[in-house]
Amino acid sequence: MIEIEHLSKRYAETIVVDDVSLRMDEGTITVVVGTSGAGKSTLLRMINRLVEPSEGRVLIDGQDTMAIPEDQLRHRIGYVIQGYGLFPHRNVAENIATVPRLLGWDKRQIAARVDELLDLFQLDPAEFANKFPHELSGGQQQRVGVARALAAKPAVLLMDEPFGALDPVIRSKAQDDLVAIQRRLGTTVVLVTHDMNEAFQLGDRIAVMDQARLLQYATPAELLTRPAEAFVEQLVGTAERPFRLLSLLKVREAIEPGPAEGEPVSVTDTLRDALSRLIWTGREALPVADASGALVGRVSVKGIVAHGRSAP
Amino acid sequence: MSSLRSSLSLDRLGSVIAVLIGAALFASPFVIYRANRIVAGEGRMLADALPPSGSVGVMVLALAVAGCAALVRAPLIRLAAASIGLCAIFPAVGWSAGFITPPGNTFARVSPALGFWLLALAFALLAADALTRLRLSPWARLAALAVAAGAVALLLVSGAWNDLSLLKEYAGRADTFWREARQHLWLAFGSMAAACLVGLPLGILGHRVPRLRNAILQVLNVVQTVPSIALFGILIAPLGYLAAHVPLAAALGIRGIGAAPAFIALFLYSLLPVVANTVTGLRQVPAAVIDAARGMGLSARQRLWQVELPLAPPVILTGIRIVLVQNLGLATVAALIGGGGFGTFVFQGIGQTAIDLVLLGAIPTVALSFAAAIILDAIIDLTRRGSP
Repeated sequence: MIEIEHLSKRYAETIVVDDVSLRMDEGTITVVVGTSGAGKSTLLRMINRLVEPSEGRVLIDGQDTMAIPEDQLRHRIGYVIQGYGLFPHRNVAENIATVPRLLGWDKRQIAARVDELLDLFQLDPAEFANKFPHELSGGQQQRVGVARALAAKPAVLLMDEPFGALDPVIRSKAQDDLVAIQRRLGTTVVLVTHDMNEAFQLGDRIAVMDQARLLQYATPAELLTRPAEAFVEQLVGTAERPFRLLSLLKVREAIEPGPAEGEPVSVTDTLRDALSRLIWTGREALPVADASGALVGRVSVKGIVAHGRSAP
Repeated sequence: MSSLRSSLSLDRLGSVIAVLIGAALFASPFVIYRANRIVAGEGRMLADALPPSGSVGVMVLALAVAGCAALVRAPLIRLAAASIGLCAIFPAVGWSAGFITPPGNTFARVSPALGFWLLALAFALLAADALTRLRLSPWARLAALAVAAGAVALLLVSGAWNDLSLLKEYAGRADTFWREARQHLWLAFGSMAAACLVGLPLGILGHRVPRLRNAILQVLNVVQTVPSIALFGILIAPLGYLAAHVPLAAALGIRGIGAAPAFIALFLYSLLPVVANTVTGLRQVPAAVIDAARGMGLSARQRLWQVELPLAPPVILTGIRIVLVQNLGLATVAALIGGGGFGTFVFQGIGQTAIDLVLLGAIPTVALSFAAAIILDAIIDLTRRGSP
């Protein structure tokens, strides 16, 4: 758990982060979103003390980060940045082994951890361990960057625009992979982005920042249905709102009893995907199948649309 | 058809080389004959410089190379042609010296003349161009240098050049030549090593303490602008004082003139490239790499040893290359203040108007700089690991 209490950062006259308080629960993904210059990177970098706060404090699992020597603090916190910053003179295995080596793990333990992480990120150790960063594609570099950040099993992972350098197709896959890995490891992730779609796709909770201030900190659904300020409403995109809301909900939540014609949708599909199928196939309703493939009811255009309204 | 046309079209650089070869063969003397080492000489065209079979052979070969340079594109063939040309004219000029010198005459001197130099220039250009187009790996370039050095050594050891004036100048001074060679190398490499010992830590310091960086670089910049002769002169007074008043300094061989001021001057000139390139090498590490290193908890010292220094060698070595090539040339000037080195022959030769004695000092200097540049370029390429 990360608790940020009245955190501020000032450079001479300019205030970059203004009295921000947040609590990020263990094992969740918090996305900090805002326009460039809103102070979101500075907020992130104050958590691992790459930027020293002017006021306020950060507690990780109840411990004040100022009480921990900064290098030791950072060994315990994973850090991924937009360009990844892989060491060009070290191969993939050596890059991933960076923090374990600083911590003095023994060689076999490090080698086993490197193989484990490469497997986790779908990079064949035999093929990739000895490659150098310039021999990797952008997507592979990104995965090595995240693997390196997770090498010493940190409880907290900070990510600053980690998908910003990827093309859209690879980005979407990398986002899905991140969520899957995060759910598996139970890591607490704080991710900074300016991309609202990314925020909605990844965030358990979203913190919206503008001009150094935290405007709203809420779940994606709350952000859509109860925006705290006009700026949040505008950032969320009024025209996109219903579709964003539908993409947060699963078919499971809109099942109606009764039969329907056509190829079934899955209970785990989002309502947005189901609606898309309905429009495309020109039907009023489609059958719903559970994980085993058994039909459990149907989902209708009318039923889905009801879930996309501002006041449920 | 198109491939035939392109393979037969004129090569621009090759055409220039062909013209050079033509001018060398038909409009310039191949060697100069002088009755003794300081009188003005008379040129001998290639036809008169060798027995008929020899001059015709060299001429046909040179024309073939010219044709090849102008018309053939394949770099390997061009390299082979250039090498054959060089392998022909270098022994030929030695042969010519033996052929022209009247039997038993020990005063007469034969030296290469404009025609020879133009041919050598043309073939060397052709070879250099071909080597560039071949994009050789660092190891292959080192091998090519070794082959060239071996060929020159073979010419010298075999005695094929013994009748040339240059070698006659050498024969009378063999002992001095090697002593000055050692002195020259000591001055150039010793001052470079000293500059590295001082400059690398100074560069690291400048990198870590930005306020010192500008001060250090500005002082060294000023040193760099002092002309070499002036710097030698400036050093004479303090070193002379030191020698007169500090017995230890005198015992170490430090005097106002001689090797000590030369060494110190070369050392001072070497500092700027070493320090500046060390600072640049450490600073050019991408910002994202440094940010990631900090974020993972590498301390400033760990960042220096594990990230910045391992990524800096190509740039630092570029500085050392500049230093070495510069020192090998500048060490020549040391002779003016009694510092020794190949400059000794250059200045003696100028004093005696004996041009071959000047060359005895100048040619090894140029050859050393050339070899140092090739070797260090190869090393720099080899250290550029991990970048595309």
